[in-house]
Amino acid sequence: MERRKFLGFGIFAAAAAFVPGTLSAEDYRKTKPAVWTAHTVEDAIAKMYGTNVTIEQGVTLTAPDVAANGGAVPVDFSSEIPAKSVAVFQSSNPEAAVCAMTLNENSVIDYSIKMKLKQSGTIVVVVEGKDGKLYSAKKTLSVALGGCEG
Amino acid sequence: MEIKAKLKDGITTVKAMAKHPMLTYDTAKKQGVEANFITHITATLNDKVVVLDMSTSQFLSKNPIIKFSFKGAVAGDKLTMTWVDLLGNTETSDSVVK
Repeated sequence: MERRKFLGFGIFAAAAAFVPGTLSAEDYRKTKPAVWTAHTVEDAIAKMYGTNVTIEQGVTLTAPDVAANGGAVPVDFSSEIPAKSVAVFQSSNPEAAVCAMTLNENSVIDYSIKMKLKQSGTIVVVVEGKDGKLYSAKKTLSVALGGCEG
Repeated sequence: MEIKAKLKDGITTVKAMAKHPMLTYDTAKKQGVEANFITHITATLNDKVVVLDMSTSQFLSKNPIIKFSFKGAVAGDKLTMTWVDLLGNTETSDSVVK
């Protein structure tokens, strides 16, 4: 595997690590680097999926209305839609993309993560359905104490 | 990594915690060090089937806790989780589906 380093805001390293036996593991940081440097949610969704038009249904997103600690905001999301991938974005931080998961036939869309939010904003979860459509859910929340340490 | 994998009604739910500072670019700059955060986490069942494939950013919390679910496992299956970070470090841990 080659190792490349790009200097600048979009820095990422192609590590020599493997992913065993896999048919479907995709490291979106390597295959879609522009997603991770996009500033706005709309831009990041467009760079990930080619469009930022989503249908706001079919996805359940739970997060607190007020996050006491911006350093660890619990976010839960789930969906029954047969899907290819799920991604989480937010509008509070310098870049919008938080994480992206590739799914396969064993996947169940039911995740909990803890993320950092610098300030109050909106979290958006996008599910890429097997029908080619994007489904999403949004949650706007306030952050009492910013989570990027300044 | 600490991993707990529980099987119920055909669905395995995994709670995993990785120990990682998840240092953002902004914070790293202030501290005068290089940013480093986990960029990719995978979980594999019995070394054969990928059950989690997550690309991540600097915005997951420090010592990130992730909960995820999947179908197709039976009790006793081996679950292997691996993360890779920005600087190329990696860690792999094994666990058993209970």
